[in-house]
Amino acid sequence: MLTVKDLHVAVDDKEIIKGLSLEIKPGEVHAIMGLNGAGKSTLANTIAGRDDYELTSGSIEFEGKDLMELEPHERVGEGLFLGFQYPVEIPGVSNLNFMRTALNGVRKYRGEDEVSAAEFMKLVRAKASELKMDPDMLKRFVNVGFSGGEKKRNEMVQMAVLDPKLAVLDETDSGLDIDALKVVADGINAQRRDDTAILLITHYQRLLNYVQPDVVHVMIDGKIVKTGGPELAAELEEKGYAEVA
Amino acid sequence: MPDTVIDTYQEQMQELQGSLPGWDGARSNALDRLRTIGLPTTRGEDWRYSDIKAIRNTAFGLMKTPARNPQVPEALCDVAARLVFINGRYHEGLSDLGDLWQAASVRPLANHLMANAERVSEMRQGGDGINLLNTALMRDGFVISIPAGIEIDDPIEIVHLTSDADSTSAHIRHLVEMGEGASATVLERFVGDDTAYWSNSMLQARITEGATLNHVRLQEEGANATHTATAMVSVGAGGNYHATNISLGGSLARFEARVRLLVDEANATVDGVALAGTGESHDMLVHIDHRMPNTTSDQIFRTVADARGKSSFQGKVTVATDAQHVNADQSFKALLLDRTAEANAKPELEIFADDVKCSHGATVGELDEKAMFYLTSRGIDPTTARQMLVEAFTDDAFDRTGNDTLADGIRARVADWMLNHTGGSND
Repeated sequence: MLTVKDLHVAVDDKEIIKGLSLEIKPGEVHAIMGLNGAGKSTLANTIAGRDDYELTSGSIEFEGKDLMELEPHERVGEGLFLGFQYPVEIPGVSNLNFMRTALNGVRKYRGEDEVSAAEFMKLVRAKASELKMDPDMLKRFVNVGFSGGEKKRNEMVQMAVLDPKLAVLDETDSGLDIDALKVVADGINAQRRDDTAILLITHYQRLLNYVQPDVVHVMIDGKIVKTGGPELAAELEEKGYAEVA
Repeated sequence: MPDTVIDTYQEQMQELQGSLPGWDGARSNALDRLRTIGLPTTRGEDWRYSDIKAIRNTAFGLMKTPARNPQVPEALCDVAARLVFINGRYHEGLSDLGDLWQAASVRPLANHLMANAERVSEMRQGGDGINLLNTALMRDGFVISIPAGIEIDDPIEIVHLTSDADSTSAHIRHLVEMGEGASATVLERFVGDDTAYWSNSMLQARITEGATLNHVRLQEEGANATHTATAMVSVGAGGNYHATNISLGGSLARFEARVRLLVDEANATVDGVALAGTGESHDMLVHIDHRMPNTTSDQIFRTVADARGKSSFQGKVTVATDAQHVNADQSFKALLLDRTAEANAKPELEIFADDVKCSHGATVGELDEKAMFYLTSRGIDPTTARQMLVEAFTDDAFDRTGNDTLADGIRARVADWMLNHTGGSND
């Protein structure tokens, strides 16, 4: 589903990702673990298409398509989703309007009809309820005044509404208390199917107790230095990055 | 201001002699005064952001009736009446007074002056050069008088259409009188073709005790037009003036609102949105004069400027000596879509009383790149994302139009504008 080959990415002329390769197949959950500054968020943002990240060499293919040829919104149309480490507050835009415009944007890209207001409300209410989000938060401005946990929950509701093929979740577990962490984990597990894939980017093993990955990668200084099964996460937690890598 | 220009206006004025009963003296006084002070320049504080050199040095002809009537735009909501002006003249055939005449007095300015010669003195005759030229060359307008206690729910729409009017100008004057406890919405619209005309209008409003006037202006003049407009408003005890000025068209557009809060508990809100397209200049000047205690005012202005576009705001609040317990707030925010766009903000507070609450705030910024990425990373295309952010940015300036359907119609206009002005260099 996602094939990253010898990826090099620079931000402000400084190379952050220094030759990274990765292959994710349908049905798989991958976790990339690494310390701050390893380049994990750079990888997530490059996959999603943030324009101040410059791909200097290598390639990213999503279902056989060169992602670099696509604008960020087109990537979403193809079935990609980025869960933000720091979801953005947008005063003046209601959460409902935001999600409905997003869903219709994706549908338009795929040549499908727009979702009706009634259909959309039914969908979004169901997803919000599954993720235990207060329905009032749907009417509020996007992420404005939301706590850290509420923002991450909102990311999960957006993911559920857009139903992506591949979700890249950047530090979705950071800043969450244990209850919020479980809700987020439930959201991720609900998105886990034979035809979808998930890339978890995380600093800690904590989330992986609730979302069991198939493959764990250790990222240090812009490269994947070690790949293994779920036991690798436990080993990292126990021994630390220096020893394992 | 060259003498030849003044001389041309003198001739035009003579042509208009006798056209408005009792007004000839006001015309010639105004023109004499104009000969002395000239049209405004950017050296004067009030006009520092609007350079009308082209108008100052060129004599505009009197606007003529076009060979064919232009298309009248569709109403944005249900209206109580529709008054249509074409090239500065009232067009009875295209207008529709509906049932309004049963509840209120609505008539052309000439009829009003014919019947009430003594009321000439109530009409503003002074002001700056722009106002003086309006006085000297005024030909038409409407007098809307809402009797005490009458509430008109739907807006009274005044549509000003300009077509085939190169190098000519129209000077219109409307009067609005709100009886005690009356309420109404006056929606002024300005629409024109691409000819280089000058529309110079004035609206005078007298809002008496407990009355409310919503004054909504949707300015969509043609791309080469100059639009200058003045609202002169006085508000009595417990009265309310709510203005919302939406400035979308013209190459140079300026709206000036001068509001006097004359008696206790008088309130004014003057809001505005200006969207300055490539190379355009949009200027709004508000002066709220708190003459008496316990008067309140609030101003919310949001402007957006594209490449080489300029948006300007001057918000002046004066509080007279002993006008205690006045509340006056002001918020101006400008969004620049391009590096070459310009925004000017000049709050001016002159406060001579000591127990008052006055606030003002001004910010100038660009579209938030993080917000743009967030929206596009959810599958929203960049054009739609920009539209959403601009709509969100301007939204709180539409809250006081007094009519939700109208507000939504105006929001849609703002969204349309965004389709054509997305700030090229941000792509």
